[in-house]
Amino acid sequence: MISVKDLHKTFDGQEVLKGISTEIDKGEKVAIIGPSGSGKSTFLRCLNLLEEPTSGEIWFEDQLITDPKTDINKVREHMGMVFQSFNLFANKTVMENITLAPVKLGLMNKDEAREKAMSLLQLVDLVGKADVYPASLSGGQKQRIAILRSLAMNPKVMLFDEPTSALDPEMVGEVLEVIKVLAEDGMTMVIVTHEMGFAREVATRVMFIDEGIIMEEDTPDRIFTSPRSKRLQDFLSKVL
Amino acid sequence: MDNISTKFYNAFIYKDRWILYFKGLGVTMEIALLAGVIGIVIGCIVALMKLSEPKKGRKHTIPWYIATVYVDIIRGTPSVLQLLIMWFIVFSSSNNGVLVASLSFGINSGAYVSEIIRAGILAVDKGQTEAGRSLGLTRGQTMWEIVLPQAFKNVLPPIGNEFITLIKETAIVGYVSLSDLTRTASQISSRTYEAFMPLIGAAVIYFIIIKILTLLLGALERRLRRSDIR
Repeated sequence: MISVKDLHKTFDGQEVLKGISTEIDKGEKVAIIGPSGSGKSTFLRCLNLLEEPTSGEIWFEDQLITDPKTDINKVREHMGMVFQSFNLFANKTVMENITLAPVKLGLMNKDEAREKAMSLLQLVDLVGKADVYPASLSGGQKQRIAILRSLAMNPKVMLFDEPTSALDPEMVGEVLEVIKVLAEDGMTMVIVTHEMGFAREVATRVMFIDEGIIMEEDTPDRIFTSPRSKRLQDFLSKVL
Repeated sequence: MDNISTKFYNAFIYKDRWILYFKGLGVTMEIALLAGVIGIVIGCIVALMKLSEPKKGRKHTIPWYIATVYVDIIRGTPSVLQLLIMWFIVFSSSNNGVLVASLSFGINSGAYVSEIIRAGILAVDKGQTEAGRSLGLTRGQTMWEIVLPQAFKNVLPPIGNEFITLIKETAIVGYVSLSDLTRTASQISSRTYEAFMPLIGAAVIYFIIIKILTLLLGALERRLRRSDIR
C-alpha cells in the first residue's frame, strides 16, 4: 500500500533521514520505535508530505506522491493523521471538527457528515461533547476526537505521531483502547510510539529507527525478545 | 470669570460655531472610517502576499517582494508627505478631497495593518494548519476556515489601536485644506484671536470619541475571550 524508496530528508544541512526504504502492506500495523531525534517522526510526516522529502520516492497505491505533479491534497484524503498535540481546530466545536473536511471536500453533505460524526462519537462515548469547543475537553478526550476526525474521512491508512506522549498517564489507556479497536477492525496503521507494551501487543511489525535509518525491523516478538543490533539492545534496556 | 464666559461664548456659541466643530468631527470620522476599511482590506491582502509559500528552491515569492516594497515605502516616509503626494500629484485633478485623503490614509494604514495581521496569523499554532492539511484541505481552505478565524482574535486589540491612531493621524488633513476637527478649531481660534477654548474643545472631543472606542473594544475583546471556554 505504501512503498518507500531511499528516502532522505535534510533540515538546514543536517541529514535526519539517511535513506529509508520499506513496504507497508494493507492491514499491517507498523509500530515505529527509537530514541528521540532518531528521525522516526520525520519519517512518518514524510509519508503524507507534511515534511517534504529531500530525495527518494514514496508510492501510495501505485501513485508516486513525491512527484510534484501529484495532487497531494487528494492523496491526504485517504491518509488520516493523528498528532502528539491533538491539534483540534480551536475555533470549531467537536462536531464541526469532525465534519469540516468531509463536507468541505465534497465527500459528504452536511447531514451525512453529522450522522457519521454521531456514530463515531458513540463509538468513543463522547456524544455529549458534540457541541462543545476543544478548550473544554481533557487531553484524552481531545485525542479521541482527533482520531474520529481522521476516521470521518474513511481513510485507507492511519498515521499516528506519538498519540499518547502529551497525555497525562491516566488518559493514555482510553486513547490506546480506541487505536486498538481500530487495529482489530483491520485498519492499516503506522504508529510512532514510546508505549512498548502497546507496540508489542498491537503491532504486526516493529521498526526500530535510529540515526536516520531503519536499524532493525521484525515481528514484535523478535524485536523485543531477541534484538540483534547493539543499538536496539541498548535502547530496549533503557525503555523496558 | 466674565472673561472666560466671553471666550467660551465666542468659541462655541456665537454664530452657532459649535456646529462647525461637529461638522469637523464628521469629516474626521468619515476619513478615519473609510481609511480604516481600506487599510484592513489592503492589510489582509498584503499579509497573505507576505505569507505566500515560495516554490521549492526559492526564498520568496513575487507577491512577497511586492508586499515588502510597499510596506518599506509606506513605513519609510512621513504620512504627511504621502498625503501631499496623493493630493497634489496622484489625484491632483480630483475634487473629492475626503476620498483622496481616505485613500491616502488607507494605503498608509494598510502597511501597518498588514504587519499586525501577519503576526496574528503566525501566532496561530502551526499544528492547526498541519491538521487541516493532513485531512486533505487545501492551503486556502485551511487558512480561511481555521487559521484566519483564530488570527482574528489575536489581531483585534492591535487593529483597534491602529484605528485609534488613525483617527488622530487624520488631523494632518489640514495640510490639504480639508476642514476636519483640528483645522476647524484652529480656524476658529484665528478668527477669535483666542486659542485656548477652541483647541482644548477639540482635544476634549477627540478624547471622548477615543475613550468610547477604547471601552467598546475592551468589551468586544472580553466577549471573544469568553468563547474560548464553553
